[in-house]
Amino acid sequence: MAEIQLANLAHSYNPTAPTPAYALEPLDMTWSDGQTYALLGPSGCGKSTMLNIISGLLRPSTGRVLFDGKDVTAKDTRARNIAQVFQVPVIYRSMTVAQNIAFPLVCRRVPSHEIRRRVDHLAELLEMTHLLRTPAVRLTADQKQLVSLARGLVRDDVSALLLDEPLTVIDPHVKFALRRKLKAINAEYRMTMVLVTHDQNEALSFAQTVIVMNHGKVVQAGTPQELFERPDNEYVGYFIGSPAMNFLTAHVKGDQTGLDGCDSVLGVPHDLRETDSLKLGFRPEHVDPVKGDIQLKGSVRKILFEGVDRVLEIAAGRNLFRARLDNWSGAVGDQVSLRVPAANAHWYVNGNRIGQPVTRLAP
Amino acid sequence: MRTVYLAIKYTALLLWSSFVVFPFLWAFSTSFKTANAVTSGPKWIPWLQFEPSLQGWRSLFGGVGGTDISGPYLNSVIVTFSASLISLTLGTLAAYGLSRFQFRAGPIRNADITFFFISQRIMPPIVLAIPFFLMLRQLGLLDSLAGLVLVYIALLMPIAVWVMVDFFNNIPRELDEMAWLDGCSPVTTFFRVILPNSLPGLVVAGMFCVIFGWNDFFFAFTLTFTQTQLLPVAIVSLNSSVTPWWSLSASALISIAPLVLLAFVVERFLSRGGLAGAIR
Repeated sequence: MAEIQLANLAHSYNPTAPTPAYALEPLDMTWSDGQTYALLGPSGCGKSTMLNIISGLLRPSTGRVLFDGKDVTAKDTRARNIAQVFQVPVIYRSMTVAQNIAFPLVCRRVPSHEIRRRVDHLAELLEMTHLLRTPAVRLTADQKQLVSLARGLVRDDVSALLLDEPLTVIDPHVKFALRRKLKAINAEYRMTMVLVTHDQNEALSFAQTVIVMNHGKVVQAGTPQELFERPDNEYVGYFIGSPAMNFLTAHVKGDQTGLDGCDSVLGVPHDLRETDSLKLGFRPEHVDPVKGDIQLKGSVRKILFEGVDRVLEIAAGRNLFRARLDNWSGAVGDQVSLRVPAANAHWYVNGNRIGQPVTRLAP
Repeated sequence: MRTVYLAIKYTALLLWSSFVVFPFLWAFSTSFKTANAVTSGPKWIPWLQFEPSLQGWRSLFGGVGGTDISGPYLNSVIVTFSASLISLTLGTLAAYGLSRFQFRAGPIRNADITFFFISQRIMPPIVLAIPFFLMLRQLGLLDSLAGLVLVYIALLMPIAVWVMVDFFNNIPRELDEMAWLDGCSPVTTFFRVILPNSLPGLVVAGMFCVIFGWNDFFFAFTLTFTQTQLLPVAIVSLNSSVTPWWSLSASALISIAPLVLLAFVVERFLSRGGLAGAIR
C-alpha cells in the first residue's frame, strides 16, 4: 500500500515524431494511500495508458512515477508489487481455479498454509469456493473474470489494485454486488484502488475521487459531489449526470445579460471580452417550480418518464434545457415557468467555469 | 433427402480412403511375395493367387540377399529424436525471445532475424553439403552420429523457430503481463505460464522436426561412409541389379511405422482441445 505520485508525467506512443501525439498530456497528480479513485472518460482518452504506466507495463516518455516518495519509474512491474485486473479475463489455462488465485503468492514464495488460508478466504468472499478445484479453462467468461479479480486481491501488501474496466464482461446483476464487494475489501484492507471506466455511474458510486479525462488530458478531478455540482467545464457537465447539465447561451447588452428562456436579467461577469462565448450552466435536478431566484420559461417539447420524476425538455428561443421535476403533471406544448437558485448556476466562459457568482439584477 | 446425402458422403469418403490406403495395401502384399509373384501380373489374394513368403522381411534382418537394417534403424532413431529434441528446446527459447522482446542490430529487427532462421531452408541442400562436409571433417565428426546430429539441428531448428514464433505471437501478451504483475520474471513467465500453455505448438513443431529429420536422405548419404549408416541410406543400398521389390516394400512399411505411430499419439493430443481458445 502506497501513496502514488505522478510527477510531470506524459506519454507518447511515437515520441520521436516531429510533433508527437500525446496519449497522455503532461500531468501532476497524487493518489493518497488507501483511497478509491476512478479514471472516467471515453475510449481512447488515455485512461489505460495511465494505468499501464503506473503498473510498469509501459515506460512513460517523460516524467516520474513515485511510490511513497520513492522513484519507481525505472523499476519493472514485479518490483512495484502492483495488482491489476484487465478488461478481458486472463487466466492460466494449465491451472485450476485455486492454483490461479494462489499464483501471485506462489511466485512470491509465501508459505503454503498461508496461501491456502488466503485463497479459501477470498473464494468465500467472492462466492466461488465450489469452483476451486475446477480447471480454469472450464469457467464461463464472468467466472474467469472473477478469478482474475481474486488473483488481484489475494495479496494484501500490494502498492495498489488497478482495475481496467474489469466489470465490462460481467453480468449486470453480478456487477452491482461485485462493486459493493470491492468497496468492502477497500474498507477491510485499506487498499488503494484505481478503477478505469467509461461508465459514470460505476465511477461515481465506486470512487472517493473521480478523475475525468478526455484526449489524454485530465479535465477535472474531484469528489463525485464536486463533479456534479461544480463541473469545471462544459465537457464534465455533459459527461457527468443524466440528463446532462444545461448550458444556455447568453448575450451581453451593456452591463446586463439576457438569455433566451430566462426572464431574469443577470449581471455581466467582469473581465469579459467581446469575442468570448458566455453560457449559463445549471443542473436539471436544481430546477424547481417555485424555489430559486432565476426565472426560467419556455414550452415543453418532450416529456421523459423516469419513475416518480419527469424530465422535461423545454425550448425557449434558441436555447433548449432540461428540468427534472417530481410530481409534475402537464402535456407537451404547455408553457411553463420554473426557477433555479443562483447558487446552483455557474458562468462558463469559452467552455470553462469562472469562479464569479451569478447575480440577479431584475426582476 | 438425408439418406441420399449420406450415401453420397460415404461413397466419396470410401473412394478417397481407398485411394489413400491402396499404396499401403500394395506395399503390404508385395512384401510377402517372391520374384515370381511380383513379375507375373496382378495377384491379390494370398495362398490362392500366390504363395506368401517371408523372404522380403527376412532379408531386412540379415537374411539371404539383404542387409541387416536394425543398426541403421537404431541410428536413425537416435539421430532424429536427439536432433529434434535439441532443436525444439533451442528453437522454442529463440522463438519466445523473438515473439516478445525487441532486438535490433543496425537495420536488422526481429522480423529479419526470424527470416534469417527460415532462410536456412530456402537454400538447396546441395549448396550446404560441401560446407557441412568440410566443417565436419575439421571437427573430426564425419561419418559419426554426433556429426549428423549437429547437421540435423541446423536443419530442424529453423522449422521449430518458425512454427513457435507464430504460435507465441498468437498467445495474447496480456498473459505475459499478468504473469509479471503476479511476480514472475521474464524467465519464470516463460517456464511457468507460457510453456504449459504451449503444448499444441510444441507438438506440431516437434512433429515437423521428426518428419523432416527421419526422411532426410541427402545429408545422411553425403556425410557418412562406412561406419555410420541411417535408415534411408540403408534402404537405398538394398537395391541391386534385380530390384528386390519384396524387401523394398517391407522396408518402406517398417520405415514409416514410427511416424504413423507418432501421428496417432499426436492426434490424440491435438483433439483434446489443445489449440482452442488460448485465452478468454
